[in-house]
Amino acid sequence: MRIELNRKESLLRQAISGLRHHRWGWIALWFILFLLLATIFAGFLSPYDPYEQNRTKSYHPPVRIHLIDEDGLHWPFIYNYYLVDPIFKRYEPDRTKKYNIGLFVKDSTYHLFGLIPCNIHLFGVDSPARVFLLGSDLHGRDILSRLLYGGRVSLSISLVGVFLSFILGLIMGGIAGYFGGWVDNFLMRFGEIIMSIPGIYLLLGLRAIFPTSLSSVEIYLLIVVVLSFIGWAGLARVIRGMVLSIKEREFVQAARAIGSGHMRIIIRHVLPNTLSYTIIALTLSVPGFIISESALSFLSLGIQEPYPSWGNMLTAAQSVRVLTTAPWILIPGLFISITIICFNFLGDGLRDALDPRFKE
Amino acid sequence: MLNLTSIFIISGRLETIKYFIFIISLIFLLGCPKKEKIPVLKGSETPTYGGSFVLDSISDPKSFNPVIAKETSTTMITDFLFEGLTQINPFTTDMEPRLARSWEYSPDGKIWTFHLRENVKWFDGRQFTADDVVFTYNDLYYNPDIPTSARDILTIDGKRIKVEKVDTYTVRFIMPKPFAPLLFALGMEIMPKHILEPMVKAKTFNSAWGVNTPPDKITGTGPFMISEYIPSQRVVLKRNPNYWRTDKTGNGLPYLDSIVILIVPDQNSSLLKFQAGETDMISIRGEDYAVIKPTEAKGNFTIYNTGPTFSTTFLFFNQNPKAIPQYKLRWFTNKKFRQAIAHSVDKETIINNVMAGLAFPQDSALTPASKFFYNPDIRKYEYNLDKAKSLLQEAGFKNKGGRLYDSEGHHVEFTLFTNSENNQRVNIGNIIKSDLDKLGIKVNFVPIQFNTMVTKLDATFDWEAIIIGLTGGVEPHNGRNVWHSSGQLHMWNPRQAKPVTTWEAEIDRLFEDGATELDKEKRKKIYHRWQEIAAEELPVIYTVTPAALYAVRNKFGGIKPTSLAGVIPYIEEVYLKK
Repeated sequence: MRIELNRKESLLRQAISGLRHHRWGWIALWFILFLLLATIFAGFLSPYDPYEQNRTKSYHPPVRIHLIDEDGLHWPFIYNYYLVDPIFKRYEPDRTKKYNIGLFVKDSTYHLFGLIPCNIHLFGVDSPARVFLLGSDLHGRDILSRLLYGGRVSLSISLVGVFLSFILGLIMGGIAGYFGGWVDNFLMRFGEIIMSIPGIYLLLGLRAIFPTSLSSVEIYLLIVVVLSFIGWAGLARVIRGMVLSIKEREFVQAARAIGSGHMRIIIRHVLPNTLSYTIIALTLSVPGFIISESALSFLSLGIQEPYPSWGNMLTAAQSVRVLTTAPWILIPGLFISITIICFNFLGDGLRDALDPRFKE
Repeated sequence: MLNLTSIFIISGRLETIKYFIFIISLIFLLGCPKKEKIPVLKGSETPTYGGSFVLDSISDPKSFNPVIAKETSTTMITDFLFEGLTQINPFTTDMEPRLARSWEYSPDGKIWTFHLRENVKWFDGRQFTADDVVFTYNDLYYNPDIPTSARDILTIDGKRIKVEKVDTYTVRFIMPKPFAPLLFALGMEIMPKHILEPMVKAKTFNSAWGVNTPPDKITGTGPFMISEYIPSQRVVLKRNPNYWRTDKTGNGLPYLDSIVILIVPDQNSSLLKFQAGETDMISIRGEDYAVIKPTEAKGNFTIYNTGPTFSTTFLFFNQNPKAIPQYKLRWFTNKKFRQAIAHSVDKETIINNVMAGLAFPQDSALTPASKFFYNPDIRKYEYNLDKAKSLLQEAGFKNKGGRLYDSEGHHVEFTLFTNSENNQRVNIGNIIKSDLDKLGIKVNFVPIQFNTMVTKLDATFDWEAIIIGLTGGVEPHNGRNVWHSSGQLHMWNPRQAKPVTTWEAEIDRLFEDGATELDKEKRKKIYHRWQEIAAEELPVIYTVTPAALYAVRNKFGGIKPTSLAGVIPYIEEVYLKK
C-alpha cells in the first residue's frame, strides 16, 4: 500500500518536474488551468448575461478603451456607440458622455458554482453603454461573455467524454489483457464491432429519437456519452497489449502469490503501470472532443442556439459577410485553436516527462 | 400551389421568375437612411446581336423535363426552353399572350377558345400546332401516371378541363364551371407531341429528358436551346435562330448568342464568383448587400432592389387535436393567445439584424408583392409586450413570479421547431424566444433537420410550434392548399373532413367563390376579406418578407427591375452593349 502511494506521488512529481523543463508544455499547462478557472468563474468574469440581446447593437465592433481625454490621463473609459447605418452596421461614438469602466459592478444575476446567486461582475459600465471587449454577435450579445460560458460547455463536455472513454478503455483493456484466452478474444472482437459503427450516422439517428424537451446541452451530453461508448475500443487495444507484458512481471506474480483478487491486481498493480501512457493519450484526445463538438454543432447535432459553445459560435462566422465585415466573430475559432495547441503541447511535455524511454 | 421552402428545396415551379409580380415603385428600404435611385435605361442605345450572359445555380438540374420538375434548379433552365399559352406581363401583372395569339370566352365563362400563333416552330423545325396543346394537356398534365403538381391547379371540383382541337391553330377549353385562375394556369409549358407521344405510349415519359439526354433531343419553342451540360460544372444554352418573337424593327430575337449557367456549391461561392467577374448576374441575400455594395463601381455592376418578394416566414401553433395535450390545445386554439404572441414578434429587430435591413414587415397572408390582391387595411400586430400581456390576461392567463400560468395552473411552455439549415429562421426563433421569455412563457427552441420537421408536420403531428416559410405567387388561388381546411398544407390542422371552426368555413367559402368569380374587382374583394380573417384569427403569425436584390453587370441592356421577374422581364430582349 505504501509503495503504491509513493509511486503515485512520484508520478505527479515526475510529471511536474519534467514539464518544468519543457517550456511549451509548462506554458500550456498554465494556460489550460487559467482557462478552466475562467470558465468556472464565467459569471463573475463576464460583464453580461450570455443570452442578453442588445437589439440595437448587432455586430457591434470591439469597443475602444480610452485612457487619455482632453485633460490628460484618465481612468479607463469608453463611449456609448449608436447605430448610424443598419445595413452596413456602422456605429458612431457619442463623445458627449464618458462611461468609466467600473470594477465589481452590479449587473445580471448569475449562480456562482451553479448554486449561489450573485450579481457582482468583475467589470462593467453604466447603461446604456456596453463594454463589448470582443464585440457583439448578430443579436447584440457580448462575445466575451458567450466565450466564457461557451468554454464551460465545450471544455467540461470534452473532459466528461475523455474520462468516460478512458475508464471504459482501461477496464476493458485491463481485463482482456490480464485474463487472456476467450475473455480476451471476446472483448477484443466486441471492441472491433464497436469500432466499425459509423459514428456520424448513429448520431444522426439518435438526434432524431431524443425527446425534444431536453435542452441541446443535455442532448449533447448524451451524444458525448454515446461517443465515449463507441470510442473506448482503440485505447482498450493498446492497454491490453501493455497489460499482456506487465502481468508477467514479478510484482504481479508476488501480488498473486499473497492471494490478491483478480480485480484488485488489475486495478492496484497492473493499470497504474500503464498510467504514464494513459495520461499522455488522455491529454492528446481532449482536442478530438473539442473539435468534434464544433463539427457536430456545425452539422446541427451539437449544441444549438441560443446556448453558447465555441463550436456553434464559430458556425455563425460561415458567411462572407461576417468574415469581411465582422471578423471578431472568429474569436471562438482562435480559442479552439489555442486550446487544442495547448493540450497537444501539454501531452507532448507529459510524454517527455513520463515516458521511460525519454528518461536517459 | 405554395411550396415548403428550405435551403434544399427552394420551392417549386411557381417561384420561377415569370410568375413574380411587378411593383411599380417602392421605397428602397425600410429603416435605411440612404435612399437609392432606381437606375433608368438610357433610351438611345440600340440593341446588338451576340455575346453571352453568365448566371449561376446552387444545384444541378435534375432533368430537363418541365412537366415533372419540382425544383428551381431544373425550372430555371427549362424556362428558357419551353413556353406556355399565356404569361404574366411583369410590368402590369395582367396575363398576356405567348404561344396563344388571342382568346375569347363564352358569356357563361365556361368555354374558352384560344387562337395559336402560326409562326412558331419547334427546335427541330416542325410546326407548332393545336395538336401539341391538346397532347400536352390530355396526355401529360391529366395523365394519372405522370407525377405533376400542375394537375392540382388544373382540377376544378375534382373535374378536369376538357381540351379539344378546333382546327390546326385553334384550341377550346371547356370547364365544368367558370374558373378565374385559368389564364394563369395556362402558363404551363407546352410540349412537342411528335417527340413525346411515343414515350407516353411506352410509359417511359417519367424518365424522359433526364440529364443525360443528348442536348439536341430536347425540343421546345423557347428563345434558347441546350447546347451542352457538364454535370456539376455548367449548362450552356444557345440562341434559337427560329424564335418567333421579333423586336420593334422586325429583327429576330433573342439578341444574345448564349446563356451559361455555372453550377456553384453554395451562396457564398456564388457571391465570390460574381465579385471575381465570372458571372454577370446574381440575386443577393440581404446579409450580403453590405459586402457587395462597396464594390459596385469597381466591379462595373448595378444593384437593383425590386421590393418585397413572395417569400414568407412565419410562426404557427399546432391546432390538431390528435397529438398534443388537451390543455396545450386550449392555449393554441385561443385566438387571444395567438394574438399576444403576434404582438411579441419584434419585426424591426428581425429586419435590422437578421435580414440586414433589407426586408419588409408582413402582417397579411399575402405579401405586398401581390400588389393587386394585397390588402393593406387589415389588423396589424406591432411589437408591444404590454399589449401582449393584457391580451394574455384577457385570455385567462396569469403571471406569477415571472412565469405565466393558464387558468388551470399549467405553466405555459412549448417546444418551437425550425429547420437548422436555415440560419435566418434560427435567428428569428432566437429573437422570438427571448421576447416570450419576458412574458413568462418558456420556449424550448429546437432547430432540427428539415426532413425531420416535415415528417412531424405532415405525418406524426407531434409538434407544438414551428417557424417555417412558404413562397407564393401572383394568383391567390394557389394558396388553396394552405388555406382551405381540406388542404394538404393546411398545416395547423390539415386535411379536415369538415371545417372545424366558423372562420375556417368562411375561408373555404371565399376560396371557392374566388375561383369561380371572373370579375377582377369582385375577386379582389373576396381575397381582401380572406386576408382580414387571416389577420384577425392568426392561424399563422407572419414575420417579415425579404427584399429582392439583384446585381447585374452594366454592359448588358434590356435590364429592367420588376418585382415579378427580377431584373429581366424578357430574357430574349437582353443584349450586350457595344
